[in-house]
Order: sequence, then C-alpha cells, then structure tokens
Amino acid sequence: MAQYFLEQARVTDFIAHLLAHHTVYAPHHRGGRSFAFEKTSDPEAVVLDYPRVLNAVKKFFLPPREVLLHFDLTRDTAAVPKVEPIDAVFLGVHSYDLAAVRRLDFNFSTGNPERNYLVRRKGARFIGVSYVPDKHHFAGSVGIDPYDMTGCDMFLTKHADGWIVDILTGEGSELAAGFKLEAHDEPKPRRAHFTQHVFVPQARLGQVMEASYDHPVWNETAETCLSCGTCNLVCPTCYCFNVEESVGIDCTNGHRERSWDGCMLRGFTEVAGGEVFREKVAARQRHRVYRKFKYISDVTGQPWCVGCGRCTASCTAKISIVEIVNRLIRDSERDESILT
Amino acid sequence: MAKPNVTAKPSATKKPRVAIFDFTGCEGCELNQLNFEDQLLDILAQVDIVEWREAMDDKAEEYDIAFVEGALSTPDCIKRIHDIRRRTKVLVALGACAVDGGVNAIKNLHPIEEVRATVYGKDQYLFPTLPALPLSAVVKVDHNVRGCPMTQAEFLRLFTSLVMGKQFDEPDLAVCVECKLNENECVYERGMICLGPVTRAGCNSHCTNFGQYCIGCRGLVSEPNLKGMNEVLTSHGLAVDEAWKRLQLYNAYRLQGVRA
Repeated sequence: MAQYFLEQARVTDFIAHLLAHHTVYAPHHRGGRSFAFEKTSDPEAVVLDYPRVLNAVKKFFLPPREVLLHFDLTRDTAAVPKVEPIDAVFLGVHSYDLAAVRRLDFNFSTGNPERNYLVRRKGARFIGVSYVPDKHHFAGSVGIDPYDMTGCDMFLTKHADGWIVDILTGEGSELAAGFKLEAHDEPKPRRAHFTQHVFVPQARLGQVMEASYDHPVWNETAETCLSCGTCNLVCPTCYCFNVEESVGIDCTNGHRERSWDGCMLRGFTEVAGGEVFREKVAARQRHRVYRKFKYISDVTGQPWCVGCGRCTASCTAKISIVEIVNRLIRDSERDESILT
Repeated sequence: MAKPNVTAKPSATKKPRVAIFDFTGCEGCELNQLNFEDQLLDILAQVDIVEWREAMDDKAEEYDIAFVEGALSTPDCIKRIHDIRRRTKVLVALGACAVDGGVNAIKNLHPIEEVRATVYGKDQYLFPTLPALPLSAVVKVDHNVRGCPMTQAEFLRLFTSLVMGKQFDEPDLAVCVECKLNENECVYERGMICLGPVTRAGCNSHCTNFGQYCIGCRGLVSEPNLKGMNEVLTSHGLAVDEAWKRLQLYNAYRLQGVRA
C-alpha cells in the first residue's frame, strides 16, 4: 500500500489522465447549491471538495427507472434488455456512500440475487475522497469516518496544498500508471469533527428501537411530515422499487419498468384489493427508521444507516433522523432508570 | 379503496366509440389531443371518434368513452353533463378544469352576483352563472387525466388501458418523488415557493426539470398535509399568503372553506 502526493494545481491533469483511458463519473455542480455525480467530459468541471451529492452512486447500479422487459402481445414474446458491467471509474466518492454500496451488495446478493444490480457493479472502480463533515453528517456515530478507505482502489485525503493519494489495490495502481506522483510519507490528518451524533453504543440501538414502538415521537413527526417520500428516495441504502407495465399506442408492444419507490408513500403499502397496511404517516415514519436501525440491523448486526445526513438535509419539513433516534435513546434510558 | 375497473372494451371485434366534449375552459386540453401528431393515426386505428366539436361536424347517440374538458359553470352545463353521462359507458375528466374546477373556481371566492355583474355588466341577466364545479360534483367520473393542459403521457396511458380493458391507476404521490428520480435540486433550496410537496405527480416533474417551481396544476394529493406545508413555508422564510394564493390557482374548489 503506497502513499503519494498530488498538488492541487495538478488535480485537473490527473483527471485528464483518467479520462484519457477510462469513463469517469465524478461530482459536478447541479443547480445553484447542489452537486451530482455525472459523466465527466471536462476535468475543470469536477468538484472534489463537496458536502454531499443529491443521489448517491447507487443510482448507477440501481437506476431510478429501468426497463426490465420488452414484450409483444400479438406474438406473445418478451425480451430482456442486455445489462452490462459499468466499466468506469467513480472519482470522488465519500466513505459513507461506499459503505452504502457494500450494504446494497449484501441486500442484493443474499436471498434471490438481484442480477441487474450485481452485473452493473462488476466493472466499477472507486477513488474515494475525504470530506469535512457539515451540520448534517453523522457517519462517525455509525462507525464510518471521513478517511475510511474501505472498498476503494485509490483514496484522496485532503491536505493544505493538495491531496494525499493512497493506492490500495492493483486496479488503483493501474489507474495511476503513467501519471507521475511524488512519494509521500508524512502522517495523514485523521481528525473528523462531526457536529451531529447519535449518542448510543451501536449494539444497544436494536433494544432502544424495540422499546420505542409506541413512542409519541412517531405521531408528533407525522404532524409536520408531508409524506412526500424524499427521505426514502435520497437514502443511499434504500432499495425498494415499484414495477409497472405499459403498452405503446399500438396496444401491442410494451415494456415492464422498475422505478424507485419508498415506504413513506401511501401507495407503497397498498396491495391488491385496495388494502393499505400502513395507513398512518406515523406508522410509515416508524417503519422508515426501523428499516435503518432495527429490521436489517437485527440480521446483520450493523446499522443500515450510513450517517450521510441526506434524509435530514433534503427534508422540506426539516425532520431530523438524528433527533428522532436521540430522543428514543434518551427516553428509553429514562424508562430503564425508573425500572431499576 | 381500489376503484372498480371501468373499461370501454365493448367486444373483440368492434372499436370503442369515442366522443370529446368541452365545457368552461380554454380548450387547451383538446388542442393537446390534436397535438398528438405522431400518434394521431395510431389513436384513430384503435377507436372510432364519433363526436368532437373542435375537429368534426358529426354527432352521435351513444359512445363507449366520453372525454370531457372544462368545468361546469352554467345551468346549461349541468343539463349537458347529465346528458353525456347517460349516453356514455365511461366518462373521463380531461384536465384541471374538469377534474378539480381549475382556474374557473377562483370565481367561487367571490359572491356569485358580483362576479356576474363584473363580467357581463348590464347584460348580466342574459347569462345565468353558477359557482364553477368539477364534473365529479355533478356526475360519476370514472377516470381523471390531470394537468393544465392535461398531461399527454397520462392520457396515452389511460387511453391504452381503456382500449385494452386494463386497470388504470391514478398516481397519488407528490411531485417531489419525480423530482428526486430526476435528481433535481430542491426548489426550496433555491429559496422559492414550490407546491410540489402537496401536488400530484404524473407530470415527470416537468416544470422543476426546467428550473421552474411547481404551480400545482395537477391538483392536490389525496391526503395533503396543508398544516405541515405552512410550517415548511414558515421555516424557509417564505410567505404563507403568497403560497396559498398559488394553491388556489388550481385548487380553489377543493380548498373552499379551508384556511391558510
């Protein structure tokens, strides 16, 4: 594992070097104040120092909309579109988004493997970057610090004059091959100052959730929640989807499409016959939080939230998952102290 | 509750007979049908259009599907919509005016006699008028195609569903969903009022994709949290009064008696 230094002035040269040999996806400006992963054509347009992107890199492996099947009703035939590995370099990924990819890898490879996701994932190479936590990040509380290099082929750590480059895999060496980087052996900065924290040992979160099924926080949150589904859709570990079929105007040829869906949306819990099994917004809020800190966590022993802060940062009603969880922790501790 | 599956498929051999009508509105939704230039021949291959004032002279006694544009705003409208309902198997409300009363319902915010005097002056007694109503206030409506003008993609989806006898599900989720799928920067992030969080999706977040804010033309979702919406506006330092004026542009009928 070798360490090098990349001066700030040579960053665009390095991106140009990557572009000469590979397809590169990296963060770009989107709108006035936001960022999004896009296919890079101009190295100058890439932003490596950013708080968070709107949609996580998940969008490349599980696209927001995806045709699963084309069919012809007169010939009674169907064809599955070809899915190929994404042979590309993902430059500038934050540690929590890669942690989210690892969680999705688990979700999509256990049980019935999700072929389209797993095939697309195959060609991906990751160059991570460190970040400075803003007022919404709390990844430190779920054990993912901004310098965590797990899953990366290469990692860039912010330094006063540029970036410290860690080459972590053979793929990483290939990406850097032909680009001159100076060796670097000074210790790296490793202090991450998170301003948001979930104050509980992770091992106890499951118990806290278990005790909070009837907590008033769910009804109180429902008062302000618009049930718009934003928190689900921006979450890097949410993977629920809807499947719909439609036909063209010839009423003969059609396709089956999958699109992102979310448990905060009323229609998500509507089943055949019109029954809605989580009718109240409060029940949907509880389910959303339990999906991140209880249900999957009971099986895997890990929180299924990566602390990116997107759900809170994107919520128009400013509902904070950190505040909800901390309140549950505080109240469950108080209840315990009364009992003992 | 799941809606009963109302379809127009008459038989395997006969094409459904379609009629198109207009009430109080700008005829923009009908124009939007004529604008299906690439699909018009395919549409005509699936159905027989038996009555359509804007495009032809013929009249018909009965139809399988009636597409009806516009709000009801005169006593004559009420008579005509009952007549159409009697003659058709399936009745589709086409566009914001027919579905929700649309911009016409803004007049309902004022005393009806005052509205009448302002519009018709000394001739007002020649023009009886009513508060504007969506079709569903008077007759049973089987399906809605929302939007101002009506969303073309939704019309085609309903059209193929009716022709094929397939169930049609009206979207009942916020425009925010489509904005997230299209990875748009949130309009609130740009400091503007957006009605997306309480407005029905189905337009593929058309306006916000192009940097505009949502004006709510597809009507409110079935369970809008309007109190929550007020808090969103206040917490973003935006004017609640202005937002409610915008909400009333398309939702004046539905919001009658509801205060900001």
